[in-house]
Amino acid sequence: MARVFIIVEHRQGAIRDATFELVTLARELHTKFGLEPAALVIGSGVKRFAETLSAYLPETIVVEHEMLADFRYETYAAVLRDIIEKETPLLTLCPQSAFGMELAPRLSVELSRPCATDCVRVEMDGPRLVVVRSVYNGKINSSLSFASSGGYLATVRSGSYAPAAEVGSAGTIREYPCPPFGAHFKTEFRGYREAASGAIDITQAPFILSVGRGIKDVEHISKAEELAAKLGAVLACSRPVVDKKWLGKERQVGTSGRTVKPKVYLALGISGAFQHLAGVKGSGVFIAVNRDQKAPIFRAADYGVVEDLFKVMDALMERLGS
Amino acid sequence: MEILVCVKKVPDTADAEVVLKPDGKGIREEDLAFGINEWDNYAVEEAIRIKEAHGGRVTVATIGAPDSEDVLRRCLAMGADEAIMIDEAPFMGSDPYGIARGLRGVVKKNAYDLVLAGTQAGDDGYAMVGPVLAGYLGWPHATLVTSIALEEKKIAVTRELEGGLEEMLTLELPAVLTIQTGINEPRYVSIMGIRKVRSKEIPVLGLGDLGLASGEVGEHANLLVSLGFSQPPAGRAAEMIKGTPAEVAQKILDILKEKGGVV
Repeated sequence: MARVFIIVEHRQGAIRDATFELVTLARELHTKFGLEPAALVIGSGVKRFAETLSAYLPETIVVEHEMLADFRYETYAAVLRDIIEKETPLLTLCPQSAFGMELAPRLSVELSRPCATDCVRVEMDGPRLVVVRSVYNGKINSSLSFASSGGYLATVRSGSYAPAAEVGSAGTIREYPCPPFGAHFKTEFRGYREAASGAIDITQAPFILSVGRGIKDVEHISKAEELAAKLGAVLACSRPVVDKKWLGKERQVGTSGRTVKPKVYLALGISGAFQHLAGVKGSGVFIAVNRDQKAPIFRAADYGVVEDLFKVMDALMERLGS
Repeated sequence: MEILVCVKKVPDTADAEVVLKPDGKGIREEDLAFGINEWDNYAVEEAIRIKEAHGGRVTVATIGAPDSEDVLRRCLAMGADEAIMIDEAPFMGSDPYGIARGLRGVVKKNAYDLVLAGTQAGDDGYAMVGPVLAGYLGWPHATLVTSIALEEKKIAVTRELEGGLEEMLTLELPAVLTIQTGINEPRYVSIMGIRKVRSKEIPVLGLGDLGLASGEVGEHANLLVSLGFSQPPAGRAAEMIKGTPAEVAQKILDILKEKGGVV
């Protein structure tokens, strides 16, 4: 029976949410196509994670070693290569996260198995695996299959599948011996640090006015600040505005910035990259203004306006009076 | 420090409408503006900053159509010392493994200490070429790099994780780093600057120069097989507010008051 493995992502003592989205996909591949799912837990002192996963999937394989305490692709790839070569799953899934982006393409080379990254859907068409990727800023879907007939890797974009619930019945936990490591590693983990955080905490704001690439110039930021003040909103932004240093990192909404759940989210000139949309999931009323009627943000917002954001900003200022 | 930066010319689709070709095998490129991949621009700037601080040379390389030359000249105007064009023809339709094989050929031609690339490309977004190239070379890699500091025979970097967290690590040299946007503020390139590098010779390399045989790259060599492109399913759609900007503004304020309970 063909099998599908999921690589459990954990950091700083907790399983990352993306893992439970992979559980949903693995179960779907079981129900629809008969693949047997199993979870792979790799780390040091991670038996409790294996116990957690055993409430979700019928089998969990756990590998423990002190060298695996902190994630490095070198040690993780060595262990995963050993497991995948011996257990020969048809497919191994990993989140498309900072963890998966560091690990999966490299593991693919070391295993000589192809990897499709950042998939939003994984299915089978007869014996053949088919993945769907979202390309060109979320505006086009691309379907792919794999040329060789051995095993495959795929990384899955967060938010593509809903997080799974426990099934209740306990799955088996199998302890897998850690393969011997080579004597020499070329990378060394030195710790974590918080990216600069400022005085403002956008996660507590009930009303967020958020600006994106469409704001075009640093000179227009003060205009957005003025409008936010007038509306009683806190000013936030998407990634391109922080990359250009027009606003601080503490105001960035999205996976690599802050996750917010305001009562109202008003987005001006934000196209809606999935990393941004993942940071506003669960917001109350979501209004988006963008010039491109096909911008992905209109698939997430409650209300949409296809218009030049400066015209809308000026009209709002006028309505609010001076 | 000898640094190679891998760059790519891509269409700017963030703010533009993207239309499929009738055969579903690609997108209509006529109405799109093309330029250097945003991530690559940060990588070029970072390489030039390392050179300015520590000495050395920066070479930029692309696998692209002849019209990618303008991207290479732009990099030269920013301060790169050399540019290499790899003839795109045998690489047409290549997946990231084919592109990485081509770039491996470039890396092997010189004793580079460091290879930089963008973390991903704005068009196909695989985020694979950097770590796959490192795998082919047997070099260490780091992805999503947000800062770089040179140490004795090593390089210390930070990687962007989720939720505003960063990871600190060191790598032995030579190494491959993929650069995240926001790592620096790329310098402005003036028309005068581009004029100054107008006559700089850019060698064009073919498969033979890269130690590759035809059949090792290109669509037929792909591990990832394209089945075609499609419009994403419509899914849920926002209720669209129409009217003049004044009417739209009033409706937004009404929604803020009635549905949002703010304002």
